[in-house]
Amino acid sequence: MSKKLKLSDILVTIVIALVFGIIYKLWGPVSTVLKPLGFQIDQLVYGMWFMAGPVAILITRKPGTALLAETAAAMGEVLFAGQGGIISFYYGLAQGLFVELAFLFFRYKRYDMLVTVLSGFGAALASLILDIGFGYIFELAGWNLALNIIFRFIGAGLISGVFAVVLVKALDATGVTSLVRPVSKDDYDVLDQ
Amino acid sequence: MDRNWIIRSTWFYNVNPALKFGVIAALFIVGLFIHNLNTMIWLTGCFFVSYLLFTGLAKMISFWLLFTAFILAILSSTTMIFFGKGDHVLFQWHFLIISEESLARGLHIGLRTFLYTVIGMLFATTTRPVQFFYSLMQQIKCPPKYAYGFLAAFRMLPIMYEEFYTIRAAMKVRGMDRKKGIKARYTKIKRYAIALLSQSIRRAQRTAVAMEAKRFSETSGRTYYYIMTYSRYDLVFIITIAGLVAAAFWLSVAFPFTPYTNVLE
Repeated sequence: MSKKLKLSDILVTIVIALVFGIIYKLWGPVSTVLKPLGFQIDQLVYGMWFMAGPVAILITRKPGTALLAETAAAMGEVLFAGQGGIISFYYGLAQGLFVELAFLFFRYKRYDMLVTVLSGFGAALASLILDIGFGYIFELAGWNLALNIIFRFIGAGLISGVFAVVLVKALDATGVTSLVRPVSKDDYDVLDQ
Repeated sequence: MDRNWIIRSTWFYNVNPALKFGVIAALFIVGLFIHNLNTMIWLTGCFFVSYLLFTGLAKMISFWLLFTAFILAILSSTTMIFFGKGDHVLFQWHFLIISEESLARGLHIGLRTFLYTVIGMLFATTTRPVQFFYSLMQQIKCPPKYAYGFLAAFRMLPIMYEEFYTIRAAMKVRGMDRKKGIKARYTKIKRYAIALLSQSIRRAQRTAVAMEAKRFSETSGRTYYYIMTYSRYDLVFIITIAGLVAAAFWLSVAFPFTPYTNVLE
């Protein structure tokens, strides 16, 4: 079986990313409302912005789709003058790359809760690395920086880890994921019975 | 960008889209190495003026987009202003300590956010998505399945929005949007996500099958409906952007507004 992405994989992945683009519009106000409080509470819901990647790769189960999904979401932001523009492009790219690395670490063999939560942490790490350069977070008071990092990792693990798995499980129940997923060994075993 | 919002065409439209994107992406990297508040102020000023000169966007829409960018920039600077490190304390209230250094650094971050939002808007409002993806295929040799994948997917956006409104109306009619709070938000997001995702995945899959049935393939020697090339506008564009950056650097030395030449110190 070819490891390269087919047109249908690409199209499905990009469309998943765009759906998240719409969901982000619902989520955006939640994050903005929490922001002025200052105690980094908004970091708890930051993980929502990592979600497109893990969900895309959990649905398609093909190498590269997490990176593609995050890039597509970021590209959409750039082309349609979304909040942040070119900034979101770099953040999306870095987050997609780190999500992808988590799945690569398990050689694209495992698509369970553990890997997905790890991929969420990866995306959080990627965003923190960019924040060092772009937002000078190391120049924050120690306790504030600690809150920022802890809250972001908790949020990433819960939203783009646990919630992503729950969401894809629910999608499995609708039967739509079997359209795009590659045939697994279980499917062949059914034929042998 | 929504085509109905574009009311005029400037020479920025004639610049090769892939090259334009490359230059703007490079500008972001340059910006990461600017720690001088004066340079950031002048740079933001220069690009803000060039945005006003070269955008094709209708004035009212432009105003609201800039206003949102401005609010976002302020919000992104507050954490650093209130909780940043610094020795020369200006104001203190419990945990909240505003120092000269944190104020300068916060302003720097806010300006940076605003600057790149404006640069992003300058790109978005002067680039046609279709031409951008054709340019990616021809200038950067991006595989056609990705470029056309993007184009086909973007074409589905209006359908997705329509579906979104349908779901919202359906939920309203059943009284499902009355609950408030985080848990209600969670169930709401989940319901929308499942409905939108399942429909969109089916549609994307069907479209891909249809495209391949009509002989969409990866063969080499593909011909293009839109031929994208480089032109003299590209040279003018590069010179303009380089000139703006150089001008900002020179102005920040000649006419510094603030004494903060390195916000990291």
